[in-house]
Amino acid sequence: MFLALREIRHEKLRYGLIIGMIVLVSYLVFILSGLAYGLAQQNTQAISSWRVDRIALNKDANDSLSQSVISKQAADKVKLTSHEAYLGQTGVVAKAKGQAKLSAQFLGIDRDQLIYRRLKVTAGHKPTKANQILVDDSFKDNGYRLGDKVTLNAADGQYRIVGFTHNAKLSVAPVIYGSLGTWRTLSHLTPDFQASGIVSARANFQAKGLSTLPMSQFINKLPGYSAQNTTFSFMIGFLMVIAMVVIAVFLYILTMQKLPNYAVLRAQGIPAKVLVTTTVTQALLLVVAGLLIGAGLTLATVLAVPTGVPMSFNLPLLGAVTGGILLTGVVGALIPVKVILNVDPVSVMGG
Amino acid sequence: MPALALQHVNKVFGHATNEVTVLDDINFEAVSGEVSLVIGPSGSGKSTFLTIAGGIQTPTSGSVMVQGQALDDLSGKDRDALRLNRIGFILQAYNLVPYLTVRDQFTLVDQVKPTGNLDESALRHLLEQLGIAALIDQYPAELSGGQTQRVAIARALYQNPDIVLADEPTAALDSARVKVVGQLLRDLAKAHNKAIVVVTHDLRLQEFADRTYAIMDGQMSLN
Repeated sequence: MFLALREIRHEKLRYGLIIGMIVLVSYLVFILSGLAYGLAQQNTQAISSWRVDRIALNKDANDSLSQSVISKQAADKVKLTSHEAYLGQTGVVAKAKGQAKLSAQFLGIDRDQLIYRRLKVTAGHKPTKANQILVDDSFKDNGYRLGDKVTLNAADGQYRIVGFTHNAKLSVAPVIYGSLGTWRTLSHLTPDFQASGIVSARANFQAKGLSTLPMSQFINKLPGYSAQNTTFSFMIGFLMVIAMVVIAVFLYILTMQKLPNYAVLRAQGIPAKVLVTTTVTQALLLVVAGLLIGAGLTLATVLAVPTGVPMSFNLPLLGAVTGGILLTGVVGALIPVKVILNVDPVSVMGG
Repeated sequence: MPALALQHVNKVFGHATNEVTVLDDINFEAVSGEVSLVIGPSGSGKSTFLTIAGGIQTPTSGSVMVQGQALDDLSGKDRDALRLNRIGFILQAYNLVPYLTVRDQFTLVDQVKPTGNLDESALRHLLEQLGIAALIDQYPAELSGGQTQRVAIARALYQNPDIVLADEPTAALDSARVKVVGQLLRDLAKAHNKAIVVVTHDLRLQEFADRTYAIMDGQMSLN
């Protein structure tokens, strides 16, 4: 630690540049991870808020809620308990007088069932009549207010916003909760159709005559969800690998430049273990400093970006990214260890 | 018992037609309380002799004994400990760690060898003797060649070693400083019973030596 700190203190520019590089790498990884996680969240926030385990869809819907319609006849064959709920889904464009149009996901639900019970309202109240809707907070960010009358698509009726709910997004669009009757109207369906799907909080739920699948599988089949996550994962993965190579190369060059000094110290009997510890400690100090500054920059960015930017973090994700970069630093520092162990004190003895 | 003894030491580099004998049947003894001088021109094998004597390099054949302990019997780790605790090296080049102040060069020794080093007053006395007490907070890059060499001497002596191996310790010094360093090494040998071995081509050091060896083309003789 002594040698590591003294060298950093003396070679401020050199080590400042290395820390700067680690700051940029960690900042980029943090931001990308935040965006990836934020975007993934916006695909599934509404589903997560229901805390359900399985979903039943029409067998011919290819596991897609938007393609699924369950007839009343088919729905009647499924016995629902308090752990299940009907769900009708359709894409809509919402508009209110003096407000911008908003593309949204309309979700029709039953007031006596699970999803309705689990909805959390941040302002106003849950809908109690057919012409009332509960909407995601992003409507508020776009100027919509409680009591606003909203038209959905080209339908004749108007729907009053009676409440706001937080983090209600599905496939990156804000969610509008209303009745199943409204869903039928918006989808141009007759009362012969019950819902798009049935969700259940029971892990062993099976719906006779329907295709029942776990929510994880359903989420992975959301349009674009897997492709988007895979893309981000690859970007972050490649970035980590490139960061590792760059940091390793920098640390290797640094170590090679120090070999004459290390040879002198070895000649004087300083154990190789001390030099290896110094090198690894120094790498860790540099990486930790870079990570802390990178995290600070990320925090500043999060505070500065508009609320519409899908960026969010969670501790396991941050822990994994931080651990990955730390590991990168240690691996980078360990690569030249063999060179340090084999440093030849004779190389600094005069002729 | 000599503090340091080399018996029939040979060192050969290369193979077959490229074979070069750098040290040829060297026999050498350094005794505690004496300054031994090894004088020879560049390329005569002085530094190779010094590295073998200090356990940095192993001889092709022959044996090296430090205070009765054969270096052949020691592991690399034990040889490191021997150099750290009993042998002080004054090297010809790259003597100091560039990012440590003069004070920190001594602190580094304390970090790896917490006991047995000179105490505060002995160190101050040594620095004053060498005329470098005022340089304590300077970095090596801020020192002249002679000052660097004197700090390197102080650093080697700070470990309070039984044996001091010096490679051209006066190469960068003027005649007045040569006298100071020569006298310091001699005082160290006499007053503290150290074995001092100096390899050099500087004949000005001869007056401080108890015994002088000549080395030429890898062969050593006692003058």
